[in-house]
Parts: sequence; structure tokens; C-alpha cells
Amino acid sequence: MPDAKQASRFRLSYRMIEKIQRTLLLTPGVLLYSVFNFIPLLMLFYLSLVSWPGIGPKEFVGLENFAKVLTQPYYRDQMINALLQNVIFFVVIIGCFLIIGTGLALLLSFRTHGRKIYQTLFFLPYPMAGAAVAYLLDLFVHPRGPLNAALTQWGLVDAPIPFLGSEDTSLITMALFYSWHRMGFAIILILSGILAVRTDLLEASMLDGANRWQSIRHIVFPVLGPAFILITVIVMVDVFNNADYILLIMGPEAGPLRSTDIMGTFLFRTAFGGSADTTDTNFGLAAAIGLLTALMILPAAVFLALRNLRKT
Amino acid sequence: MDKIFKLSKREQLLVQFIMLAWVAVVLIPFGAALINALKPNVGQVFRDPFGLPDPWTWSNFAKAWVNANFAQYFANSTIIAVSCVVLVTFCASTTAFVLARMPFKGSTFIFICFLFGVIIPIRLALAPLFDIVRSLGLLDSLLGVILVQSASMMPVSVFILVSFMKNISSELEEAAKMDGALPFTIYWRIIFPLMRPAIATIALLTFVQAWNEYFLPLIFLQSEANYPLTLGLQRFNQQFAIQWHMMFAGILIMMGPTILAFMLASKQFIAGLTQGGVKE
Repeated sequence: MPDAKQASRFRLSYRMIEKIQRTLLLTPGVLLYSVFNFIPLLMLFYLSLVSWPGIGPKEFVGLENFAKVLTQPYYRDQMINALLQNVIFFVVIIGCFLIIGTGLALLLSFRTHGRKIYQTLFFLPYPMAGAAVAYLLDLFVHPRGPLNAALTQWGLVDAPIPFLGSEDTSLITMALFYSWHRMGFAIILILSGILAVRTDLLEASMLDGANRWQSIRHIVFPVLGPAFILITVIVMVDVFNNADYILLIMGPEAGPLRSTDIMGTFLFRTAFGGSADTTDTNFGLAAAIGLLTALMILPAAVFLALRNLRKT
Repeated sequence: MDKIFKLSKREQLLVQFIMLAWVAVVLIPFGAALINALKPNVGQVFRDPFGLPDPWTWSNFAKAWVNANFAQYFANSTIIAVSCVVLVTFCASTTAFVLARMPFKGSTFIFICFLFGVIIPIRLALAPLFDIVRSLGLLDSLLGVILVQSASMMPVSVFILVSFMKNISSELEEAAKMDGALPFTIYWRIIFPLMRPAIATIALLTFVQAWNEYFLPLIFLQSEANYPLTLGLQRFNQQFAIQWHMMFAGILIMMGPTILAFMLASKQFIAGLTQGGVKE
């Protein structure tokens, strides 16, 4: 071993060189992660206590940012609006995933012809970029787009529906975009839950004279609990920080009339302002909102972390 | 068993019908994009969105590629994604190796710090992150975006690699250590080859994530010369919002490589991306 020879030449012990090399191996990853991920997360605590437009001196204001978000009507109303809409957004997505996802996964678990091909096709949108999916579906549901053309042609509606142009439908439509994009992920998770059901249990139930639906209801569904919880938690953590579709289609103002405003867009708008030439930027306040959002998703996030830890 | 999972002819027919219905939900938007991207003008798109193009205008793609700067966006996306893959696979595998196989005082603490990154999304810390990137002079540079995006992939990658490593036996390493091998040698000769399947997973995950990332470039890039495809598509949408046939062509250019890669390795995509999604 050349390394060992070197060691004796420099009279460094094996332990010594081992320690140096270990440090060298550890450094790049730890450095990269701490500078661009971990330290910013820690700095949230500090920045949330200052008033700072993003440039110039920082002024320490204590808990004023939190007080602003929680009590000052201008910010509080935006926060409540964003939070409520975020919850609706989340519920629609989870509803789609659990109902359609479970249904499709169940059908895929039968001896369906071509189920491998279906599985692949159902997963197809998932790896696509959010930006491409957002614009694709945006055009697809546009009043002059293919969906409305088909609906009017078949006489299902009299006039095109402005899915993204009306306050009543835009948020739901955005949630459906998200569901369309990620459904494959939910299907795969639920399907692997179904396939993990122990076959001897199913066989025993058949011997006891249970029919198909009874077996599914009493043996398969109970086992799917963890998969459902997992999907719920993952989606929850994601939709409370990620607002890509809305930023892409509606911009930071989350129109029409803020009807698609969720935590992600609210946070972005607070940090960088609603439009390019805005002066209304507030990094301290943005840090406070980020911290509050982190607190909201913390239970879900900790659950995920513990689950991962148990697995390792 | 058979009675539960086997379908009678009539049931099979019904199930096939439902499956095909969902395939239609998934594929029709893609199909609409494809036929409309080949139409010569937007009038045809509006008049009959499901009609065939007349004449078939393949030049829309070339127009988007050349006139709308897509070549540049494409190159930037490639640079960002490839650099992220190299950086993350190297940094995550070395870190995971030390954390999993050479524990020392404080290694648990470091691991918990990585865990922290898995559970709290970096987007919530966009203000401090922006501050740090600016004070390092990395605003509006590809390097800055590469470092930020790589760092955001580190926690998940370290996690996947550490749990993978806990499941492979350490006999080879022990033997190498007996022979006096040092960590560098063990990492490069033994661990890296053994970890290859897990490294392939995180490489795929990082590539897809980096290629698709919209939010981080949005915050850190200003000049159009640095735009990746996601920001380019947004710019394109602002310019060509009315010209739908061009928009569809642009969207397909962005999706093309992903669709191609997915068709070539759908199994790895499904397994890898699901694993990455679960760990996030």
C-alpha cells in the first residue's frame, strides 16, 4: 500500500493519517450543505428579529415582525387568506390522491392486462418540469383552449368556462393541476402498499369464505394506513412551501384578486415584492413568515424524519 | 388468492375501460400540445384544437430553438444539471461514507444537522439564503445557482446513501483496513463501487430535480444569458403568450429530454423518484 509507506516516511501514525483523510472526506459535503442550506435555516431565527428591506443596515426590532403578521390587519388578513386557501389547496389534492389514487392502484393490483404499461403511463407526468406542466395545462384549460373547445362542441357547456380567470374556480383548478402532475407518485406508493399485503392472510380470508370486497376491505385497506399517512404528510410539507404553479401562471400577486394566494406566494411577495419594480420588500418579515410556516409543517416533518430514521 | 386478483372477462373489460379513461386524462394534454405545436398559425389552434395540422409545420421547433433563445436556455439547464449531479454525487457519497462507516465524536450531530435539512424546506429560508449568496458575490451567476441547488439536494442524498450503506456488509472494508488501507483508498476502491446502485439513484434524482427547478433560479438569476429552460419558458410565455403553437413547441422542447429519458429507463425513474419523494 503506497499510503502505508508514505506514513512511515513522515512518521505519522496510521491513526493520524486516517483522521486527516476522514476530515478531508467530510469537508466538501459539510461545507456545501452548511453554507447554502443549514446556515440560512439557522439565520431565519436572527433575521426574523430585524427590520431589513434586504439592503442597507439591519435594525433589531425584537418580535415586532411576528406581531405585524399576527395582528396588523394588512398583513394578518393576507396571512389568514393565504393559510385558508393553502388548506383548501391541500385538501383538494389529498382528496384526489386518496380517492383516484387508491382506486387506480387497486385496479392495477388485479391481473389487469397491460398493467405494467398502464403503470408507466400513469407515472409519465411526474418527472416533467413544473414549469412545462403549468403552462401546458394553463393553455389546455384556457377559455379558447382544447378542453373548453371539446366541452362546447359536445354541448356540455354553453359558454367556455374561465377555469383560471374566475375567483371561484382558479384555486381548485391549480390544485387539480398539482394532482394531475403527481398522481403517478401516489399510485405507486399505494400500489406498493397493496402488493406488500401478506398473501397468507388473503388466502386465509378466502378459506373463511370472504368475498373479494370483504377481503379488500378488511385485509388490504387496514394495511394501507401507513401509505395514506405518508402521502398526506409528504404533500403537506410540499404544498406549504412550494407555490411554483401559482408563481408561474399567476405571478406573485396570486390573482385573480389573490384567490390563489398560498403561503409560498405570500412569502415570496413579502421578501421580493409583488412586481419587478416594487420597493416594498421586507426580508425580516419574510423570515418571520418562513419561520411560522416551518412551525406549521414541523409536526408533519418530524413525523417523516422519525419514520426515515427508523428505517435506517 | 386467484379469486381476489383474477378478473372475469366482464370485469377485465370494465377495468380496461377505466384504465384507458385515465390514460386519456394523462395523455390528451400531451397529445394536444404535440398536434398544436405543428400548426402553422394560432388561428388553426383556436378553430380546431384537436384537428390535424395543415400543413405540418415542423419549423416551429427550429424557430423556438433559434429565435427564442432556447438553445441558450437548454445549454444553461444542461450545465446546471450536470454540475449538480457531479457535485452532489461526490459530496454526498464522501459525507455518507464517513458518517456511516467512520463514526467519531460529533458525527451523530452532523447527521442530525442533515436531517434538519430534510425536514425544513430551504424555500422557507429564501431571505437569509439570498443574503448569503449575495454577500459571496454569487448573485446572477450559474455557479451560485449550482451551489444552491446542489446544497438543497444534499440532505436527501446523504440520507439515501447512509441508509443504503447500513445495509451492506463491512467485511471488505475490515479486510482492507487489516492490510493498512486508508480512508481515501477504502472510499475509492471499495465503498464507491459498492454504492453504485444508490449513487445512480441520487444522480437521477439530482438531475431531474436540477433540470426542473424553477424557484431557486428565479431568485438568483437576473440576466437572460444565464436563464435555464424553466425561466426561459416563462420569458417565452411573456413574449409569445398569444402564439400558442409556439408556446406548445417551447413546452415540448423543455419536456423532450425528460420524456426520452423516461422511456429509456422508466423502471429506474419510477423507483428512484418515488424513493426521493418519500425521503423529502
